Amino acid sequence: MFLFLKNINLWLISSICISLLVAIPIFVIFSGFFGETSNYLAVLSETFLLEYITNTFLLLIGVLSLTFIFGVGVAYFVSFYTFPGSQFFTWAIILSFAVPGYIYAYSLTAFFANYGTLFSILTFLFGEANYNSYIPRIDSLLGSIFSISFSLFVYVYLLTRALFVYQSQNMIDAGRNMGFSSYNILKKIILPSAKPGIVAGLSLVAMECISDFGTVEFFNVETLTTAIYDSWITFEDLNTANILSFYLLIFIFILFYLERVSRSRSRFNIPSKGFYKIEKTKLTGTKAFLIFLFCFLIFFTSFVFPLLQMIYWLIKFPGSFDLKSVFTLSLNSITVIAITCLALIVFSFVVNYGIRVTDNKYLKTLTNFSISGYAIPGVILSVTVLTFSSYVDQFLKDYFFISGFKTLIIGTIFGLTVAYFIRFFSLAVNGIKSGYEKLNHSLDDASYLMGYSKIGTFIKVHIPFLKNNLILICMLLSIDLIKELPITLILRPYNFETFATQAYNYASQDMLEYTAIPSLFLILFASLFIMISKRQILKGF
Amino acid sequence: MKKTIIVGIFVISNLCSAFSAEVNLYTSRHYQSDTDLYKKFTDKTGIKVNVISSKYEVLEKRLLSEGKSSKADVVITADAAALGSATKKEIFQKIKSETLNSKIPAIYRSAYWYGISKRARLIYYNPENISPNIVKNLNYEDLANPMFKKRIVIRKSSNVYNQSLVSSLIENNGLSKTSKWAEGLVSNMARKPKGNDRDQILAVAAGEADLAVANSYYIALMLSGKKGPEQQAAAKKVQLIFPNQSNRGTHMNISGGGVAKYAPNKENAIKFLEFLLTKDAQEHIVNNSFEYPMIAGVQPNKLIAQFGTSFKQDSKTKMTSYYNNQKKALTLMKKAGW
Repeated sequence: MFLFLKNINLWLISSICISLLVAIPIFVIFSGFFGETSNYLAVLSETFLLEYITNTFLLLIGVLSLTFIFGVGVAYFVSFYTFPGSQFFTWAIILSFAVPGYIYAYSLTAFFANYGTLFSILTFLFGEANYNSYIPRIDSLLGSIFSISFSLFVYVYLLTRALFVYQSQNMIDAGRNMGFSSYNILKKIILPSAKPGIVAGLSLVAMECISDFGTVEFFNVETLTTAIYDSWITFEDLNTANILSFYLLIFIFILFYLERVSRSRSRFNIPSKGFYKIEKTKLTGTKAFLIFLFCFLIFFTSFVFPLLQMIYWLIKFPGSFDLKSVFTLSLNSITVIAITCLALIVFSFVVNYGIRVTDNKYLKTLTNFSISGYAIPGVILSVTVLTFSSYVDQFLKDYFFISGFKTLIIGTIFGLTVAYFIRFFSLAVNGIKSGYEKLNHSLDDASYLMGYSKIGTFIKVHIPFLKNNLILICMLLSIDLIKELPITLILRPYNFETFATQAYNYASQDMLEYTAIPSLFLILFASLFIMISKRQILKGF
Repeated sequence: MKKTIIVGIFVISNLCSAFSAEVNLYTSRHYQSDTDLYKKFTDKTGIKVNVISSKYEVLEKRLLSEGKSSKADVVITADAAALGSATKKEIFQKIKSETLNSKIPAIYRSAYWYGISKRARLIYYNPENISPNIVKNLNYEDLANPMFKKRIVIRKSSNVYNQSLVSSLIENNGLSKTSKWAEGLVSNMARKPKGNDRDQILAVAAGEADLAVANSYYIALMLSGKKGPEQQAAAKKVQLIFPNQSNRGTHMNISGGGVAKYAPNKENAIKFLEFLLTKDAQEHIVNNSFEYPMIAGVQPNKLIAQFGTSFKQDSKTKMTSYYNNQKKALTLMKKAGW
């Protein structure tokens, strides 16, 4: 009997609970798949479904192309060359991560609108005239592609740069000896060996791009994600929403699988013998200037431009600044971040520690399975959480006469945290896992030999070693959480706004100029998180 | 002794609920000035207003998910179709209020909901680019006229104000005529629909199009300077007409609300609604969000009143049709390529 009890351990129980939680969205989508649909699906198929799929596809191609150029371009230049500003750009480029796609969209619109910011600038510089007819329109699909690309290319930059750092000078010298030009060295040696990083980065970008809601909705670009939202919200056809979600998910899982496969391959590409660190070539003259310009333009457009546009709006409409509201929004955002991070770190440690001491196969599978939470678009995830809460509430009422389950989840910080947990668990658990993988088991054995208990080892050996990883994970989670929009929008409590939801509210309710304050603070906080962890970010990827 | 204690507790608990100082408001109105309005209510009555504000469809989903455990007291919308939807889905409860019934005209209220303010959907034009003679007696139906090819701007079909307009057209002209009208309108669009109502007016001011369809309060908002000097200058270039004056009248819409079915603070909810129809509140509304007032004895703000206040309003088309025809309207619009 005691043997049986021994097997029921903490690790197994907690991982079963977590996997059940993470499985909720998939369960709901599948169960709704076989239900009746309204005629909305028929109308869709006749008219716009093809357009939605085309738009999603065009968006994807556009974003992947631009993020490739920006991400690989900057990574290449800062990894292999020294030029004025190269040190600065190495970390400053990451700041564009602080600007979510939808805020970029508001800035683009503000700048290029009729009688917008560009109009005011031109009037100020050159006097009154009808500039409107000459101002280009950057909106709709093009605007979406730019906005999303600028907000996501950092993934490609970081993952590519991580592999560039492992390039051996040997190979480059060999290429030079063979008479290759710089371009050929790039094309035939550097890029191929960095391919896993590039593919991993592009897959992440693709997943995020497909799930984007705020940007495309603002620009009125109909994609599969907006169709899912529409069928649920406007046509009240949850089953159509589920069917579209299902197809979207298949696509996402394919992309995710590609990313995983390329990541696993990358371990074998790190050279060990005869590895010489890259000697950066110093650039001068025109070349240096052009490359500086390239990096500067990307930095300016992706980070400084939206920041300036929001500051301009703030100065123009000072009435939008309300100190009390800023304080409340900060408090809400920080509270939500703190609680979620705590929950995620604690459970990630439970699972990872469990893997370490028990070597349980199920736990390992869980860490892989949990990625599904990340892959599912936020809109779908929140709708499934809502639906699931109603199912359970009804079930408890009918069979156990317990009511009020719904109130635990809908409109509470707890419910919000649960949804965030499902979405970001894989980030936390895999982040800590990669740290643990670098920690040799023999260190644990040495610690036990010295008389430390399991807990003692955990506190005195594991935590200090994983300190950098923890900072990195916490900051990455914080950045993602502060930018998060659809889940927060759908599940938040009364009187509860975060910077992201407040900006969205103003934008969708014809008060675009008022998005300045929440946007600025969001960018500020996210930039702060990036600055705190910039060393770890550059090392950790 | 025991009896005294019991009576005492009873009295105190009633007093407490009388001073129970809050009302929970779910609103899809999107005007910054509303926050001051709620403050006025709190100052007057001591009742705190807790607000959750979002697009109506999201609020509705939330309310329906919450069901009996919902803490919503008052639900306010910015469109009549939303009121119809809320009624159909049993989000409201019937209340008795002589105040509301006496102040609000019958067509702008029902057993479940009460109109708070009015707005008209108007056609804007730039006299520099199009002669006032052409637009003088325009009807909504004329927007499909090929003479306006590529000269009209209007918001996207997902916008509920457009859906209500199209619903009203279906109610008056029938489904197939309105379908053809929508197709004609789409081929007259100067650009793919984008931006909000103000962007349509700005497009007309900039010469990008000749005609724009937008709600009445936006022009006043721009003229007030609240949206910056550029928009104010642009708004001065633009004139408007009240469509359908020679037949049923201009399409009207309302912002309104009702008491939620499971309201925990029902008395406070009724007080709040009644407050919105007081002279004080109505004047705040007309002078800040530039809508038309609901009650008699209050004048619209002069920035919108300057265009005329005695225009013929469509009082024939029932507001309930905005919701009843909404799905048909959206399907029709999407099929037309809007």
